Amino acid sequence: MTNEPFVIERVYNAPVERVWKAITDKNDMKQWYFDLSDFRPEVGFEFTFEGRNEERCYVHLCKITEVVPAKKLTYSWKYEGYEGNSFVTFELYPEGTGTRLKLTHAGLETFPAIADFAKQNFVFGWTSLIGEMLPKFLDKEVTVA
Amino acid sequence: MRRDVFQAIADPTRREIINIIAKHTLTLNAVADNFDISRPAISKHIKILTECGLIIIKQQGRERYCEANLSSLGQVSAWIDEYRIFWTKKLDALGAFLDKENVELKTAPKKSTTSLSTKKIKRK
Repeated sequence: MTNEPFVIERVYNAPVERVWKAITDKNDMKQWYFDLSDFRPEVGFEFTFEGRNEERCYVHLCKITEVVPAKKLTYSWKYEGYEGNSFVTFELYPEGTGTRLKLTHAGLETFPAIADFAKQNFVFGWTSLIGEMLPKFLDKEVTVA
Repeated sequence: MRRDVFQAIADPTRREIINIIAKHTLTLNAVADNFDISRPAISKHIKILTECGLIIIKQQGRERYCEANLSSLGQVSAWIDEYRIFWTKKLDALGAFLDKENVELKTAPKKSTTSLSTKKIKRK
């Protein structure tokens, strides 16, 4: 199993200060991310939220580990009741009048839930993965792009 | 260019190659016989699949055999998929949120009568 972090990038038609606000302001975050009871971009600040997949609800526990205003935000990301810990990093780079956002999610392989999921999926079969799930996903991505 | 599983299976010919090889380990020529497209084109697809780790080429005597290595597909995609889908949705939602605000900011002043199409040009 590869331990490479997961990386995704987007370019937004908004200046870095605006994108920074969108990823660190509680009211903005509510619009696209999660509805948090509180959020402050400060090292050591902790927050939680609930996220669910088809089967169950997971309580996410996060703690901010690095803040470079308008440039970089990192927080730890783990699940209540499960082993493992990961780190989510948002990095912002000015690009013309817009902003390139690079999101890195490292340490996913430390989650037993993910390992279970991988095992299940392997048993479940790669055919449905290739045949249905991924093409759907890829089509969606093409539409977005 | 970085090769990954998603790229490997983005192409219908490559998906078909994986399907064929998953059932039987075949020589390069035998794989190509299943398709109407040229042998070099098939070789190129197989090269990409090899680089992605989905196919392993084994030399036996004079023949080169293509063997499917699907465990990497199952493992890599399974755990990364959920997060890829999650973050794709979230970052798209962020983009939609920022765009919506841009439009609101530009349409807010009463004097502004610019049409949507000219706004788009201005942005670029």
